[in-house]
Amino acid sequence: MRLPELSMRSLVAIFAAFLLAVPACAQASLQPQTPLRVAAAADLEPVLPPILDEFLRATGIHTEATYQASAMLTTEIENGAPFDLFLSADLGYPKHLIGDGLADAAGSADSSTPITYAKGTLVLWERKDSHLPPPSLDLLRDPNLKRLAIANPERAPYGRAAVAALTSLSLYESLKPRIVTAENIAQAAQFADSANADAGLISLTSAMTPRLLASGTYFVIPHNLYPPIEQGVVIVSNTKQRAAAHKFLDFLLSSPVQAELAKSGLTPVK
Amino acid sequence: MDWQAFDLSLRLASATTAILLCIAVPLAAVLVLGRGRWIAAVEALTTLPMVLPPTVLGFFLLVLLGPRTAFGRGIASLIGHPLAFSFSGLVVGSVIYSLPFAVQPLVAGFAAVDSSLVDAARLLGAGPVRVVLSVLVPLADRSLLAAIVLSFLHTVGEFGVVLMLGGDIPGATRTLSIVLYDQVESFNYVAAGRTAAVLLGISVLALVMIYSKTQMPGARDRA
Repeated sequence: MRLPELSMRSLVAIFAAFLLAVPACAQASLQPQTPLRVAAAADLEPVLPPILDEFLRATGIHTEATYQASAMLTTEIENGAPFDLFLSADLGYPKHLIGDGLADAAGSADSSTPITYAKGTLVLWERKDSHLPPPSLDLLRDPNLKRLAIANPERAPYGRAAVAALTSLSLYESLKPRIVTAENIAQAAQFADSANADAGLISLTSAMTPRLLASGTYFVIPHNLYPPIEQGVVIVSNTKQRAAAHKFLDFLLSSPVQAELAKSGLTPVK
Repeated sequence: MDWQAFDLSLRLASATTAILLCIAVPLAAVLVLGRGRWIAAVEALTTLPMVLPPTVLGFFLLVLLGPRTAFGRGIASLIGHPLAFSFSGLVVGSVIYSLPFAVQPLVAGFAAVDSSLVDAARLLGAGPVRVVLSVLVPLADRSLLAAIVLSFLHTVGEFGVVLMLGGDIPGATRTLSIVLYDQVESFNYVAAGRTAAVLLGISVLALVMIYSKTQMPGARDRA
């Protein structure tokens, strides 16, 4: 490898700069205004930002959200990620955390069950300029459908729902070789939107974003084909901001916010 | 242990290394023997993938070489399917991603060859191809080994490009490093430990192989 050589003196200088910088950074992260850190399932990526802004206006509490597949967030919380709240796309992962004593369903009557804040809907999405027929259950039977994007059923609740729906239609085995698995539901939408996949089984929340409404059309997969995607929220037990986390829970379950969820492709629970 | 992914990782790394050798030997020779300002630009370009985030590469391959661009459609009609989600797509990504790991050791090795030997070969009438194949490559054989092993290992360990481009298809794009990620995400830490141990073992073995070849005293007399 031909890299420029550094003199001993400059190496010492760089090292010293690091030593000085570390305590400064640590200090900054211990400031009282640490934002409320929200771990959110990827299907919430199009939904949550305006809600977090309204929460800031209503309460003055700053939030920071991380969007990933629910299982991935669960692993991170198990390994000590500094989240205060976890909004999953199912009930299983938050239950798993409660079972491990890492999270609690604060305020709920049954402390072993996470609070359900919404229900998700699975849709079949396809680009408008596709050469295939418009999205419908028949599209899934079309032999010209070469690539169908779904989220990883091992770790994304929408991926599990997609496999359940295809299994109910007795199409899973025949479609299996043509399925491409995305990291999470947002990446499944990306695969379909970039036309690398012919269609995708994605969340209604993604399909209802202005971008995907402009580039494609969707078909709502009948709800009887897959178990409901009940989305649960828990408070991470290690949180130092329990009061703020409770405020956010109340806010999330309030009628105006629930009405907003309905407009973004989730089914409200209230 | 996911042997299918093991096999796939080895096939991907072998294909990538073979293609890289064909590209890297002439490229390194041009960088060492060539003259002119453009040489620096070529060297910068070949080093670029080393410092480029793999996600940048994954993004380019997915979107710019995807079916929505004319170039992407050209490739798709050539190989019969889009680059994404296919073994050939991963090979293309890996070749770009590991290019500096093949070129850099060769440049260092070729540059260390006594230039009077190159001049002598030229005076005796050897053309550039002959100079490279009969003088530079044999005298820089340890660098060649380093280039092969590093390209191979770097491809086995590739993750970001595969995650963005792969689609996690068993036997086509689910490589060992993706399997490890899947296992950790499904809380299967025992299996993840096994996969990680295999990846660690491959890397350690290969590096020991390089260093035992390059540091054996008197194993090969250069002068």
